[in-house]
Amino acid sequence: MTVIPYIFTAVLIILSLIIQGHPSFDVISIAGVKPDLLFILIVYLAYSFGSFYGEVTGFISGLLHDAISNAPLGFLTFPKMALGFIAGMFGRSIIKSNIITVSLIIFIASLIKGLITLILAYIFHQASISTVISIILPEAFYNALIAPPLFFIFDKIYEKELEREGF
Amino acid sequence: MGRLWAGFTELNEVREELRKTREKLQQYESIAEELNEIRYENDHLRKILNLSERIGYESIPASIIAQDPDNWFRTLIINRGKSDGVMVNMPVVAYKEDDKAVVGKVVEVRGSISRILPIISSDIRVGIKLGEGREPGLLYGASSNANVCVIDYISRAVPVKFNEPVITSGQGGVFPAGLSIGTVIKSEVLESSAYQRIIVKPVIDFNHLEEVFIIKKEPDKELLQIFGEVE
Repeated sequence: MTVIPYIFTAVLIILSLIIQGHPSFDVISIAGVKPDLLFILIVYLAYSFGSFYGEVTGFISGLLHDAISNAPLGFLTFPKMALGFIAGMFGRSIIKSNIITVSLIIFIASLIKGLITLILAYIFHQASISTVISIILPEAFYNALIAPPLFFIFDKIYEKELEREGF
Repeated sequence: MGRLWAGFTELNEVREELRKTREKLQQYESIAEELNEIRYENDHLRKILNLSERIGYESIPASIIAQDPDNWFRTLIINRGKSDGVMVNMPVVAYKEDDKAVVGKVVEVRGSISRILPIISSDIRVGIKLGEGREPGLLYGASSNANVCVIDYISRAVPVKFNEPVITSGQGGVFPAGLSIGTVIKSEVLESSAYQRIIVKPVIDFNHLEEVFIIKKEPDKELLQIFGEVE
């Protein structure tokens, strides 16, 4: 890959964090839950370009996310990195990209990420099993809902790289 | 004879005036009693709401510039930091119309920004007093995405009314006593617990919160050391 896709990725990571964190974008939250745009981006990159790209992006963006969040260091990094690796194992060559598969991948990945975070929450922090209903499930549904249009946009952004990869 | 008759007439007039005066006196007495009652009620309500006591601390106005980008945390970022005199564990309040109410406390301070842990976060613990009975309890955020709080450690035997005010108790070394927090919207009695679970709606609407005030009250370090919040 050339430098350009890395720049695109960096810009998208920062843009996702701004949208998720700035009060002006509160309109995107439904019932107090915001979609995890950064996570969708990581799964997209892993799904399109493989585990290595996914886990490295997950690690770097997760550290950035941890730094600006109130989370203990690693709390948001580890699930993103792990899912970046796992999602890369089920890449485009194995699962064809369409609305249903994209939604399903993001839904299952979000659920796994939520469960890993819950386990970490028990270790680092105070956690409650009620977060499965209050955060994990709504976030997974929300992510799955907005993933297809986002994947479409990302496909346009990374068009040349996808062509180079043979997709 | 004429004078005697005049004396009788005057006597009647004086009697009539006396009767009217007694009537007026009774009216005034009842008004005075009513006023005393109103004054007592007013003092009592002031005591509950602590409106009589103005908090004697300076405050730093600040704007919310960001919030936690993750659904698991509820912190808010403000545009005031160490350079403005903000310290960790300083209480943060905001106004809704004319009511001053608790927003949360400062948990992290950097050069020109700080992080606030709001009362709707499940990580916070605030000592409170509930209603007219001033029952002590512990308040924290209900869940990671709800804008309500929960009060724990209120005995099941305590009668809790809808809309009862909840104020800070001043215990804990962070919040001054008597700051308004919210009102009771629900009380749940669980069979398995000796305490009831009280749901509180905060005065502050956290969805539309933009401006806050950091109270320049240095935290009680001795108390915080006891609670293990300061190394």
